[in-house]
Amino acid sequence: MTAMGVDHATALRSWSARAPAPPATGDLPPAELVRHFHPDHQADHQSELRVGACAGMRCPSGLADLLQANAHIDDVDLAGIRNLHADVLVLGGGAAGVVAALTAARDGAAVMLATKLRLGDGNTVMAEGGIQAAVGADDSLQQHFDDTLAGGHATADPELVAALVSDGPAAIRWLMAEGMAFDQQNDQGDGASTLRRLRPGGTTVARLLSYRDFTGLEMMRALREAVLLQPGVEVRERYAALELLTDPHGRCVGAVLLDLERERLVQVRAGAVILATGGAGRTHLGGNATSNHYGATADGLVLAYRVGACLREIDSFQYHPTGLAWPRHLRGLLITEAVRALGARLVNGDGARFIDELAPRDVVAAAILREIDAGRGVERDGLTGVLLDTPTLERERPGVLQNHLITLVRLARKAGIDPASEPLLIAPTLHYQNGGVAVDTNGQSSIPGLLCAGEIAGGIHGRNRLMGNALLETVVYGRRAGKAAVTTMRNPSGRAVGITHLGDWQRGLIHAGLPLDRRAPVLFPAYGHADIERRIHARRKSAL
Amino acid sequence: MSADRKVRLTFDGQDITVTVGTSLIQAWIESGRPLVDNVGCMGQGVCGACRVLVRRSGSGTVETALACETPVEDGMQIASVDYFPAHRPHRYDLHAEVEVESAAAKPIDRIFPEAAHCRHCGGCDRACPRDIEVERMVNLAATGEAREAAALFDHCVMCNLCVAACPEDIDPAHLGQFVRRMAAATTTLPVDLDQRLQEIQTGHQPIRRPPSPGRHES
Amino acid sequence: MKVLTHTSARTPDLAAWLAAGGGEGLQHALTETAAIIPALADAGLRGMGGAGFPAATKWQAVADADADEKWILCNGNEDEPGTFKDHFLLTQTPHQVIEGALIAALATGATGIVVYANPHAGGTISGLEDAVEQWRRHPLFDRVRAHLDQPFELTVQLSSGLYVGGEETGAIAAVNGGFPFPREKPPWPAQDGIHGQPTLVNNVETLALATHVLRHGADWFRQLGNTAPGTKLFSLSGDILRPGLHELPMGTSLRALIEDHGGGMLAGTPFKAVFTGGPSNTLLTASDLDVALDFDSLRARGSRLGTGAMIVVGAGTSIVRKTAEYVTFFADSSCGQCPPCKIGTHQVARILQRIDQGWGQPDDLEALDNLVELLLGSGRCGLVDGAATVLASSLRAFRTEYEQAIGNANRLP
Repeated sequence: MTAMGVDHATALRSWSARAPAPPATGDLPPAELVRHFHPDHQADHQSELRVGACAGMRCPSGLADLLQANAHIDDVDLAGIRNLHADVLVLGGGAAGVVAALTAARDGAAVMLATKLRLGDGNTVMAEGGIQAAVGADDSLQQHFDDTLAGGHATADPELVAALVSDGPAAIRWLMAEGMAFDQQNDQGDGASTLRRLRPGGTTVARLLSYRDFTGLEMMRALREAVLLQPGVEVRERYAALELLTDPHGRCVGAVLLDLERERLVQVRAGAVILATGGAGRTHLGGNATSNHYGATADGLVLAYRVGACLREIDSFQYHPTGLAWPRHLRGLLITEAVRALGARLVNGDGARFIDELAPRDVVAAAILREIDAGRGVERDGLTGVLLDTPTLERERPGVLQNHLITLVRLARKAGIDPASEPLLIAPTLHYQNGGVAVDTNGQSSIPGLLCAGEIAGGIHGRNRLMGNALLETVVYGRRAGKAAVTTMRNPSGRAVGITHLGDWQRGLIHAGLPLDRRAPVLFPAYGHADIERRIHARRKSAL
Repeated sequence: MSADRKVRLTFDGQDITVTVGTSLIQAWIESGRPLVDNVGCMGQGVCGACRVLVRRSGSGTVETALACETPVEDGMQIASVDYFPAHRPHRYDLHAEVEVESAAAKPIDRIFPEAAHCRHCGGCDRACPRDIEVERMVNLAATGEAREAAALFDHCVMCNLCVAACPEDIDPAHLGQFVRRMAAATTTLPVDLDQRLQEIQTGHQPIRRPPSPGRHES
Repeated sequence: MKVLTHTSARTPDLAAWLAAGGGEGLQHALTETAAIIPALADAGLRGMGGAGFPAATKWQAVADADADEKWILCNGNEDEPGTFKDHFLLTQTPHQVIEGALIAALATGATGIVVYANPHAGGTISGLEDAVEQWRRHPLFDRVRAHLDQPFELTVQLSSGLYVGGEETGAIAAVNGGFPFPREKPPWPAQDGIHGQPTLVNNVETLALATHVLRHGADWFRQLGNTAPGTKLFSLSGDILRPGLHELPMGTSLRALIEDHGGGMLAGTPFKAVFTGGPSNTLLTASDLDVALDFDSLRARGSRLGTGAMIVVGAGTSIVRKTAEYVTFFADSSCGQCPPCKIGTHQVARILQRIDQGWGQPDDLEALDNLVELLLGSGRCGLVDGAATVLASSLRAFRTEYEQAIGNANRLP
């Protein structure tokens, strides 16, 4: 997809002349669009896994390299390191991890929450548009269920989806009780209010609840306070998970963490482990720009796969249609889908619309990539995309930018653009891991003692996630996994705890002809020059 | 775009030469230095992780900023600032506070007693990278005007620079979150949500699964 | 030669002070008012609050001002670690201080004197109030008032006890009824001080010395010193056998101070360094042992006399830990107006604490060097500069100690 686009100045003239451009649905059926132009389906993008529980499954090549890598540590690295204990060990400090930790602690568990960066650092805080829940009188759990299944192209696990949507309204109430604000309107006449709802792409009714255009920030602020104040939760920041611990029966019984501040290893024995480590955007699959947080490097997926957990739809990644495409240092950053839900349109280099802007994300993303491939994209300083027509939106709905899209305005200003007078250059950005670790409705994986919540879990969104279901998933499955962890946890003391699962893992790598010197999890993107190996072994006592 | 113009700056003592038009955090990355903390949303400006002190060439003033949204300038001198938690955590149980909410038992006096001793130095305002009126928020909260205080703190990204800047240990960022959370948690349940919850409770929101859950092979 | 610490000065009883020769300075000032400032200029009296600014120049600026009110602020806030001379003067010898303030009032045509004292220096206040009351009821006071021929008051005011309250504009802000926030200079106190009026801010040691200059004359005062005029109260502390207040000729060498008067290093430990008060100045090291301790000689060495506090550090005391202690003091004392000061000093303190606790990284030294450069001059008063200076000096003179603290953290070579 390297055809030259229309140069930026020319494209702006075309846009200006034709705005507001008439709607278009495109001449290709959505399934065709996706099959031909979505990155997931590009010929050289995927490879087959050769080791592990999902050998034979397709997986993006960059991710396959991580899933099929060797561990950072050996048994000898565990000798003499500090041993810590927890009833429930939560790995990951975004919404899912925090919700799971709160739930488990309130059910009486001694919880440790470890995160390699800071509490609240993750993709949650960057979510803008909102959270879905079927609260409207014109809505129902059934509709939410149907929309989610359909949006995922009928590949999701219906029971997981049923659990997601059923718990939705309760999740909103739970969030409100934790101090999260939601946009509401006083429209009931007697001073009572209802929740403000938008219709996100791929849904049949307005169901997206939000706080301004920074719902994720609002959620994370409130939840972070809650977990810091929660008795029974010990938060350890700058502690990165390197390996899970197992017992001889293959049960997950804790993890080995790297204390990044002091550059030493610690071992945490736990009754149950909840992986809430988020997504994989910073692996830049296929060389794509990403909207993700700096730490989204598929760490939990690597750890789970190495102890034998099953994955699903791991070849399916969501490319958010509207990532900033220019300037270079802001490439990939998210422009919320809410801007389209509010009425903004996409136009190509000829100033024409080419797709229903509220179609599901994979369809819109594929449509944009098709325009670029056909030479109808817009090119500026060597970067290509299409135009997001914010000026027309502002003209039609004066004040909408300042009142409802302040994050967009701020981002545009950083790019040196006034979105009220100039359209933004956007292109699809690697945004969300649709699949992940296979779990049941309690977040339980195929490995006893190992649960998952949030983006790392698979089976909920099928092959395409609807906007607003990711934030919902963090709360619903965070609560379910937190609860289930407490009821299923088993004190690992007295059992042999270690990393003997690596023996079979390494045998598998050797049989498959895979290298042993490629290591994962990588913890940080390559351009972070983190030199993990040196940090792990910095304090190894010299063997005399 | 003058894509070839280079600028030189010093970041934590490391001299960096980088192309103009990029952000401070991108400059750090381009220099090849390790980046393993004080990093997050990489330019969206919502996570507050990349706090820095910035001195511009020839200037005597030093300002706080977020590195991911600050463009590089020639001669800049930058120092990263760690995350400073409050000297003394201000503990409360939100659910319990919501239950006993009354004008008489002003929770702020109990939970954030330092707020009444604001010395009006203005340091928090100057430290905030979002230009929030932090001092005014603290003063409003201390006099019981919690909702007005909460509204002022809308755009906080929890960088905690105001916490580091406050000489009275008021812990403004967490005071701001407290008043916001109280305001949100004491709002009456919206009627549509209330209604839907009742329906679910009484079994009036069934979900019919599709007849054959199709799973497409990859 | 004991001047300020002479037994005759150590009395709470004004009558006793006057009987022993106190009051003579004030008498000379009343008789020849126009000769007061020239006498100070001749004597070469310098400010003892830390800056060493020529007293006569400051007094003249206020004398020349044309205003409805003029003020004398006797600065006894003294909150620096290791400085305890002002405490001694105000609690043990209040009358020589007050007499000096009255002389200053005559020289400048003041309408009021505020004796500004730190309430944490226990025992100060009731004694001071009593001393002031004795003066108010004394005929000498009436003569001063009559000479000035205008409304005139003498009061005591407690400071907040905070370090920034010792900065002259901070002191003025406090006397004006607010928080002792330092402010930008200019305007200088001589232009805009208490009530917005011309104000002379002098350390209490300076005023006490002025009393003796007027009593015995400029020549006498000059000859008391070695390389510079007069005597100096050195607050000696640290790894020394005889810590305490030592009044010695200005220009006494550091070696003499330590060995002849301070009893030598504690337990014979080798000398390592001295933090001068402070402690916001460049460290003195072994190569400075024969330096004359006066304002100009130390400035020529790249350091400062400051308040004359000398915190002596021997080989058994860690420079890293001491520097961390002092930077933390500055961080806690920062008034908050200037984020680079408050946040910057806290960030420095945090890095130093990490090094001290064994988690330092080699990069930390470069980060500290960078912070020094970045922070210098970034505040509206000298606090942040003091922190940056003492840090820079310790890094320069004792870098191996820092490297060892980092290297000690059990790493592979």
